[in-house]
Amino acid sequence: MDITVQDSKRWMGARLERKEDLRLVSGQGKYLADLVLPGMLHAVFVRSEYAHARITGIDASAARALPGVVDVITGEEIRAHVKSMRQPVLLPNLPAKYPDYHALAVDKVKFHGDPVAVVIARDKYLAEDAAELVVVDYEELPVVVDAEQALAPGATKVHDAEADNEMFAMSFTGGATPEEQAQNGSEVQRIFDTAEIVVSNRFRVHRTGITPMEPRGVLCDWSLADGLTAWITTQRPHIDRLALIDILDIPGERVRVIAPRDQGGGFGVKAPFYRENVVIAYAARKLGRPVRWIESRYEGLMNVGQERDQINDLEVAATRDGKLLALRNRGIANNGTGQTGVYWGFVMPFLGQVELPNAYTWEKGDIKLRVATTNKACLTPSRAFGHFPTRFALERSIDMVARRCGLEPAEVRRRNMVPKLPYTTITGEYYDSGDFLKVWDNLMRQVDLPAFRREQAAARAQGRYLGIGFSCGVELSGVASELLVPMENQPGYGAATVRVDPRGKVLIFGGDAPGGQGHETTVAQVVASIFGIDPADTLVTTGDTGSTPFGAGTIGARAGSYFVSAVHKACAELKEKITHVLAHDLGVRATAEEFAFSNGEVIYLRDPSRRKTFREIVERIIMFPVNLPEGEVGGLESTAFFEAAKPMICFNADFCIVEVKPATGEFTIKRWATSEDVGNVINQNIVDGQMHGAIVQGLSNAIFEEFIYTDEGQQLTADFEHYKMATAADVPDIELSYASTPCPHTPLGTRGIGEGRPSSVPGALCNAICDALSPFGIEITELPLRPSALWTKIRDARATQR
Amino acid sequence: MQTVRITVNGTLFEEAVPPRMLLVDFLRDRLALTGTHVGCTHEGVCGACTIHLDGEAVKSCMLLAVQADGHAVTTVEGLSQHGELSVLQRSFREHHGLQCGYCTPGILMNMSDFLARHPNPSDEEIRHGLIGNLCRCTGYVHIVKAVREAAKTLATGAV
Repeated sequence: MDITVQDSKRWMGARLERKEDLRLVSGQGKYLADLVLPGMLHAVFVRSEYAHARITGIDASAARALPGVVDVITGEEIRAHVKSMRQPVLLPNLPAKYPDYHALAVDKVKFHGDPVAVVIARDKYLAEDAAELVVVDYEELPVVVDAEQALAPGATKVHDAEADNEMFAMSFTGGATPEEQAQNGSEVQRIFDTAEIVVSNRFRVHRTGITPMEPRGVLCDWSLADGLTAWITTQRPHIDRLALIDILDIPGERVRVIAPRDQGGGFGVKAPFYRENVVIAYAARKLGRPVRWIESRYEGLMNVGQERDQINDLEVAATRDGKLLALRNRGIANNGTGQTGVYWGFVMPFLGQVELPNAYTWEKGDIKLRVATTNKACLTPSRAFGHFPTRFALERSIDMVARRCGLEPAEVRRRNMVPKLPYTTITGEYYDSGDFLKVWDNLMRQVDLPAFRREQAAARAQGRYLGIGFSCGVELSGVASELLVPMENQPGYGAATVRVDPRGKVLIFGGDAPGGQGHETTVAQVVASIFGIDPADTLVTTGDTGSTPFGAGTIGARAGSYFVSAVHKACAELKEKITHVLAHDLGVRATAEEFAFSNGEVIYLRDPSRRKTFREIVERIIMFPVNLPEGEVGGLESTAFFEAAKPMICFNADFCIVEVKPATGEFTIKRWATSEDVGNVINQNIVDGQMHGAIVQGLSNAIFEEFIYTDEGQQLTADFEHYKMATAADVPDIELSYASTPCPHTPLGTRGIGEGRPSSVPGALCNAICDALSPFGIEITELPLRPSALWTKIRDARATQR
Repeated sequence: MQTVRITVNGTLFEEAVPPRMLLVDFLRDRLALTGTHVGCTHEGVCGACTIHLDGEAVKSCMLLAVQADGHAVTTVEGLSQHGELSVLQRSFREHHGLQCGYCTPGILMNMSDFLARHPNPSDEEIRHGLIGNLCRCTGYVHIVKAVREAAKTLATGAV
């Protein structure tokens, strides 16, 4: 075998066992709740029982009197000593009305679960007891939980200082000025006026999201000398550090944030900067003692992981032969209070509208969004950031067009797919590379569609209802600064420090903070393939702002796109130096390309007898930096930043086959199959696992999970008995297939994958069910997909047909 | 306070505990066995705290420490023998049966009990056996595979 490629072949794409797993399968993981400091105190929050009420008094005297209780902190104290949460580092670069707020509620509470006070005690059981003794007097206020009601004139205002509840409104098409947008609107109207087919629907997607298995947590330690050390369950430790510096007014050199190496999932839920971080840091500073808060599941389901919650009034114009012409959408998002930093709830529905056009070509579009504040918890990001509802709406609409045309939905999709990349959509989203048709055609090879139609017809003759449904999804592969700066006021580059150890090992430091994605293994495989060493001879450190380069965090599928590309860039710089010194030592004039790094050795290719072990040459450069080439100095460490010139994407297409029982509305998923463009693969197991997890999250969101609020704003679903997540018995096996195109904009041809992936699921699933029930003419436009609702639709259709 | 004598992973512990202390807190806070996790508000749905009580998989957030008095507990830390991972643990590594790892200890404890009762399980039996454990990352596909492959390995007499 060619020695230049042997090691990259060995490690790139391999199903390598993960480095993380030895500790995780043996109970040796160290998650936030496993961290204990001497003298540590325990915090329990007192949270609002009302959705909207004025706080008229807080009596903490009984709680304070309980032996072992160290302090009770209320919103008034926080307001007096700590800046508000509306600091520039947490503000997106989008023109919204940002309602100011404090880390604990002051004056009034705005959702069921709003933190009002915190009890600090020596024992966590005691802290729970004391929290129940804190008496909060409320004066109830009118509640608004419905987005359209919140936007209506004269509605109850969630935020007293604002003129109304419209937090954000935007046109995504037609230009920057109202005149241009009006012009575009009338051009779109003309297309609709003359179109042969128009489908118009109101699509509703409920409030749900991706609740990680590990709840949130914060542990803060304060010392006079070193300031604040904060361990936080977070995807963005570097952003959290800046927020703590600015809000608590602590000099930057005295704040260190550490995301534990082991985190029990994030999925976007751990990406915002939360109020509890500020409260616990304040308490640790005030008391001079370590303070830890571990979120209960109850608190978690009251406060975070709530996303989707959109109405999309979507219209699609098409020709009779299935050519898509234009789309018009009026989105309404229910943002809850809109008070959670970095995203403020509305950035998700914003991106959901940007991503609405998906993989199809459109002549024109007219897309507008309004975001309402209500007395619910603020939306927090959840995997498939913002576009779970919009993609559901669009993929359902495509099927309705196909039905009107009498065409196969699969065929309508293929006819309208962007034929060649790069491509810029009607909302301005840039699709850099890939081959949608190749992915689609590969999907269609996974099923014999004519044979399925025959089987379907035969089954119907026997009173059985089978259906097939399709969808596809363009997803972001990392988020370039070009998008992240205008969207969130934050950088998108990937960052990595690579430090070669004199013993021939390689230490990698990354500014991101994973929660199960397997960065330690993926990066090890990349480094091993570059240096020709074993992945075991590497160590990846993430999450510690004290040792890692500044990075935007683990968000938006950045590992396979930005992080590994930064690692590659840093390694390439070190390779240059190693070969430079080695050529000098060997007395040859040679470029880096004339050396191979393979099997633990660095080999001069023109004379392979001349070689040194990797350890020998790196030890020589680090420990014995004498007789070096002119201008060279010792040491082997490099920090690199990777930025793609343009945003990058990945792509997938799915189908599923279902059987529906009309007598009950129950359905079974008989097959779920996919075709993926993930670029070049680093670890096939990890990529497969990302897809499996994302698809099941999509199913769980579409079928089971739902945050339910009463009209009074009481949240009824704050435990896993009521917030039902899919179990293993609820979901099917998944068949993955790949039709990848290497990404031309990353050094390894890799793409970041997995983040947006759940968004294709509700469309494919509901399309299959509607296909199965096509004799009844049923169209699903609302989620969640409950058998009871399906049964009602079937009953109504039967009544009409009679 | 009440004195309990609980054998955990083969070692007898005699400790004075408050009567209301949950078994999961006894294991995590008193014995520093933090491999047993808490993922729900002690309603027994998530399964991350699953341990063995006298060899049977139970949820340690639904028991008080005093209820384990006189009993034998095994936690995920006790699954490995002499520093060697068990067949099931190895299978989860080999088949990528975990991502974040938070639910994993509970699943390993549940499935080691399950495999003892169902040495030759079908995928459907495995999926039903997993109902008491929520996993958010994997979509369960690789978990089912890891359990299925572990069953095959165990059938050859491996430990």
